[in-house]
Amino acid sequence: MNHTPDTSSAAGNGGDFDPRQAAALLDRTTQQTRRHIEPAQPWLLAIRAVMVMAVLGTVWLSVRGQHPYKGPTSSVLPFVFVFVVVNFLATVTVRKRATAGVSGRSRLRPAEIAVLALAWVAVFPLIGAMARAGVSGAIVYSLFPLTVPLIVAGLTWAGIEAARADWRPCGTGTGIAIVGAVGLFAGPAGAWAVVGVGLFIVLLGSAAAIVWRQRRSVVRP
Amino acid sequence: MTHELDPLIHVPTRLKIVATLAALPDGDTLSFTRLQDMLGLTPGNLIIQLRKLEEAGYLSSEKTRNGSAQKTTVALTRQGRKALDAYTQALRDLLGGL
Repeated sequence: MNHTPDTSSAAGNGGDFDPRQAAALLDRTTQQTRRHIEPAQPWLLAIRAVMVMAVLGTVWLSVRGQHPYKGPTSSVLPFVFVFVVVNFLATVTVRKRATAGVSGRSRLRPAEIAVLALAWVAVFPLIGAMARAGVSGAIVYSLFPLTVPLIVAGLTWAGIEAARADWRPCGTGTGIAIVGAVGLFAGPAGAWAVVGVGLFIVLLGSAAAIVWRQRRSVVRP
Repeated sequence: MTHELDPLIHVPTRLKIVATLAALPDGDTLSFTRLQDMLGLTPGNLIIQLRKLEEAGYLSSEKTRNGSAQKTTVALTRQGRKALDAYTQALRDLLGGL
């Protein structure tokens, strides 16, 4: 940790504090703070984008030649599982570090977290009901579990962020829902590729938007 | 057009404090320890500067007690945000005229 020298006495009236220095300090401090407190770190989003495309792309390669469609092979599933676990742990760790000491309106409230979790989980009984109704296994056990949670959770997240007037995550949520909707029409095998590429684009776009916002000057808009 | 820089903000340490708190989303607060960590200031120096800003109505602080631990959180007030906006505009005017 770098300790800034005590400038309170030396520059108590700001006498020798040049406006250019002040502008540079204001911009630098604002940009550093934005970087430190950002819960969605751009580098993590970029890594996640590459990983999600690699994992879903691997699944797609394993299912694209299947006629009829049987679903991902058991040798691919451990990669998916490891990705989900590593992604979850990295997200929680980075988010916790970034938001340490920050409290207030920008933090997700327990009710909002519950709504998000419920939206994600509520999809699965619906899919189970469709299986009992005789819908094809390729759709019920592969296509829907991949795409429908993205649509429902993406729209729910977008709604929560829109209510907070936080438009960047609202756009990300909408983007995820659109990826899910497009994947729904790509068929059981094609959906893996569509979702992989779609999430890659959405995550990289979100990372770019965060970097742009963090680097934006306060003094020279 | 005025080029006067608010003397309360136009001090490196206090400018860093105000800029840090202004970068938080509206309605958020920051703990004293995180603020100290981010700015790299000594506790004594930070307390002095925070007190000056609080006396001017630019920031508010709140102390909460959780068992034996006491936590202090600070946030920029609406008046503080307006003062920083005016300060930033004055900087723009000055730099534009240089």
